Amino acid sequence: MRISTAQIYNAGVSGIDQQQSTLSHTQQQIASGRRIQTPSDDPIAASQALTLSQAKDRITQYGDNIAAAKDALGLNDSVLSQVTDVLQSLRTLVVQAGNPSLNDTDRASLATATAGQLQTLLGIANTKDADGHYLFSGFAGNTQAFSTAASGAIVYNGDQGDRTLDVAPGRSMQASYNGASVFEQVRNGNGSFVATAASTNTGAGTISAGSVVNPSVLPGDSYRLQFNVSGGVTTYDVIDATTSATVSSGNAYTSGGNITVAGMQVAVSGAPASGDTFILAPSTSQSVFTTIQGLITTLRTSASGAAGTAQLQNGLTAALANIDQASDHVLTVRASAGAGLSELDSLASSNSDRSLQYDTTMSHLTDLDYNKALSDFARQQLSLQAAQKSFAAISSLSLFSFL
Amino acid sequence: MSNGIFGIGLSGLAAAQAGLTTASHNISNVNTPGYSRQETVQSNAPPQFSGSGYIGTGVQVTTVRRVYNDYLGAQTQHVAAGAAQLDTYSTELGKLDNLFGDSTSGLSPAMNNFFTALNAVAQHPADTPSRQALLASAQALVSSLRQQDDQLSEIRSGDNQQIQSAVTTINSDAQQIADLNKRIAEATAAGNQQPNDLLDQRDQLIRGLNDQIGATAVAQSDGTVNVFLSNGQGLVVGQTASTLVARPNPDDPQNYEVGLQNGASVLRFTAQSLTGGALGGLLAFRDGDLTAAQNALGRIAVTLASAVNAQHHLGVDLTGALGGDLFTVPSPVITNATTNTGSGTVGASIQDATALQASDYRLSYDGTNYTVTRLSDGNAQTFSSMPQTVDGLAITVSGSPAAGDRFLIQATRNVPGTLKVAITDPARVAAAGPVTTGRSSGNAGSGAIGAASVDSTYPSTPLASALTLTYAGGAGTLNGFPASASVTVILGGTSTTYAPGVSPPYTDGATYAFNGVSFTLSGTPANGDTFSVAPNVSGTNDNRNAQALAALASQNLVANRTTTFAGAYGELVATVGNTASNAQTEQTAQAALLSQAQSQQDAVSGVNLDEEAANLQKYQQAYQAAAKVIAIAGTLFDAILAIGATS
Repeated sequence: MRISTAQIYNAGVSGIDQQQSTLSHTQQQIASGRRIQTPSDDPIAASQALTLSQAKDRITQYGDNIAAAKDALGLNDSVLSQVTDVLQSLRTLVVQAGNPSLNDTDRASLATATAGQLQTLLGIANTKDADGHYLFSGFAGNTQAFSTAASGAIVYNGDQGDRTLDVAPGRSMQASYNGASVFEQVRNGNGSFVATAASTNTGAGTISAGSVVNPSVLPGDSYRLQFNVSGGVTTYDVIDATTSATVSSGNAYTSGGNITVAGMQVAVSGAPASGDTFILAPSTSQSVFTTIQGLITTLRTSASGAAGTAQLQNGLTAALANIDQASDHVLTVRASAGAGLSELDSLASSNSDRSLQYDTTMSHLTDLDYNKALSDFARQQLSLQAAQKSFAAISSLSLFSFL
Repeated sequence: MSNGIFGIGLSGLAAAQAGLTTASHNISNVNTPGYSRQETVQSNAPPQFSGSGYIGTGVQVTTVRRVYNDYLGAQTQHVAAGAAQLDTYSTELGKLDNLFGDSTSGLSPAMNNFFTALNAVAQHPADTPSRQALLASAQALVSSLRQQDDQLSEIRSGDNQQIQSAVTTINSDAQQIADLNKRIAEATAAGNQQPNDLLDQRDQLIRGLNDQIGATAVAQSDGTVNVFLSNGQGLVVGQTASTLVARPNPDDPQNYEVGLQNGASVLRFTAQSLTGGALGGLLAFRDGDLTAAQNALGRIAVTLASAVNAQHHLGVDLTGALGGDLFTVPSPVITNATTNTGSGTVGASIQDATALQASDYRLSYDGTNYTVTRLSDGNAQTFSSMPQTVDGLAITVSGSPAAGDRFLIQATRNVPGTLKVAITDPARVAAAGPVTTGRSSGNAGSGAIGAASVDSTYPSTPLASALTLTYAGGAGTLNGFPASASVTVILGGTSTTYAPGVSPPYTDGATYAFNGVSFTLSGTPANGDTFSVAPNVSGTNDNRNAQALAALASQNLVANRTTTFAGAYGELVATVGNTASNAQTEQTAQAALLSQAQSQQDAVSGVNLDEEAANLQKYQQAYQAAAKVIAIAGTLFDAILAIGATS
């Protein structure tokens, strides 16, 4: 076949050009450590890598949210543990106050201690987070959660919003607990009903906090135990206070004996006077502050005589029941936060597993196989040298050199 | 007789000289592009009759011809047009490929940072630095979009410039071809011999023309060629060249179109009809891939901004006011064709950003009907009246357009360059939900109220003041809803709507919705228990709307709710990468084809120096031999003279 001189040069030069460009591409790959320089190098892997890096970004964002939720719940738990401590010491105070050897002065000093605890609790309830926002005021971060109204009552000023954070696809984690739900929505009495003695009682009857013996018949109505002393015999009537219907009358009274009304069981002890009443009402929510303020009032009220002592005893029983309810309530909140924390831990660890897996896949997709690249490089270098040498040899051949 | 030998010798000298000249011409043109080697064609001269038969009279040079294969020449020109088109196309695509290729800069990280910042606000909604960081990342997102748009616009204006310069080159080539046609026709007619070097020049010009645009040469009997473009339009006919014009497209002045100057008017060519050469590559890239990429980017921007705005409207900011726009989304751009004669004006607004297609639209009016054409795929819809909604775009016409009027509607292409962040005050970021709920602390029952959510109808009927919902134990109803609002109760997928003023029954676990607000009630409330539903005025630490905003990142909102923002961007990158990769492959194949065709042509027409060296040698010897013939003829003559002198 006939070959023109230009062809010899063109073929030589284009061969060398091509080898050089391949070599330079391999060199770029080696220098950057990336197999894919532009998406066109491997469009499928490039778009997979993009999707993957976006998925990884999502995980990182969930990771940030998890960390923030953990911080928030951790802070919440440490503050609530202080609440538990305060309630614990209040409980001790109440038990101490029940000691019959204490006189009014002793109880007054206990009342002062209780008032101190109340202020401590108020301080805890008004804790601010690291950003300077009230921890327990719901969404209203700039509003002081609890304050003392003119009436002396401690009122909640925040709202009932609880912040959540998205910690996994489709899973949001509660990261804050509003003050109303922590401090205010505490069921009073024994949690189901409240047993109280009427303040007008003149006798020495005391009533226990009671318990529910048959939840299925709890009617939601209030009941009144109306005592009668006639001829040294004490009897009581049970009246449905909501409907004013008499349930039973003339029941024989035994001090310390259990009285069961509509699934509720209480024990009345001591000697109630004729006309004394005790009320069993369904529980409502009562603020822990109201409970403590009630306790202070009870402790400051002079207890003289059998009736006074019974009043005191009834007040202390009620306070103890309410404090126990508050403790339980706070512990329930802490348990829910704790469950959240442990879920966050497991989410965090599964996230880091997935993140690692994404990294591995990403590396497979985009990273360079150095062994292959370096061997390619050596091979391409050799080809280039061969092309250069053969071109030099061919181009030096000319018939003119022999003429 | 010696006269004959002299003549024969002289004819041999002349023929050898012609051979030597031709070889020298070949040698000196070894590097001339488009040069075809020439060779002398010699034949024996007519013999002279004598009694003893015909006696030879020497040699004559019939012609000098160029060694050229018309088929191979045409093939090279044709393949060159394809190679030049793919070369340009692939080079231009490479720019897009590089632009979208960097995963560490560009839109992907900017979008990710924006949603990360939204998450940070959700973590610390009352924290001003987080809000400030959100605004900064929104600004960075807008800047990143603008930067990409700048680069895309630069590529577009570069293409327009290249189109202009390609047209200039084409016109100059066409003129030179016409001139050569004239000289070749004259030369052929005068000497009845082919002007080889002029033919080479013309073939080389046609070859060069094919680098700019696909063109076919058809030879005529008078030696001229007619050159036709890919759409069949004659560029050079005989000795006359037409003029191509590159000018702003009357329908879309951002783009240059190519047409043929026809007297005072311009014959417009559709871009698709012009293929081959750099011009074909530029037009295909600019009107296809570049426009598609810009529109795809624009669609992501407009969908993201609209979705964020819509969600932002459903939140309240630190001042307790409902959120405004977070981004200023530019309105669709309407371009009236410069050829319009009617007084019609067209308006367009984005009604549903999720339904937008990554395309421009053309509205044309034929006197009775309006046709809206989606330019990306040519899908056309005809309407007898306006307004209409097409692909989420509400299009209106006012005034009276004339028949034949056209309007270009661009809802997406300009967005990346003109999108803005609407707020600068971090307090205006609406991170909180607009409605709070609560149960009264004195409630005896266990009824609980869930957090309120709002839908897109809420901003039109916002809650003016707090509502207290009271459970009426006897009737089992919930009282206290606004007297003017109907209440919908949804339980387990069944919804029942109660007329305004009618108190709906209380159902454990049901969702209650009114005026765009909805919440769930559960548990067993006691008679008289109350729940509050109130506007959120002091919820500085509320993150509900920030969470909803951050959650947009993982929702399918683009392309009729089929993909996420990030997914749409990934699709764009993959499309560009794929097209670029295919174009590179095709370009490599076409380049190989060209080099093969060129090589075939070179094998026939190219100069081989060794061959010419041999030719030089050959003709030199022939020359020396012919000279010897003359010398011998001289000797013979001398011999005759000597006979005369001695006798």
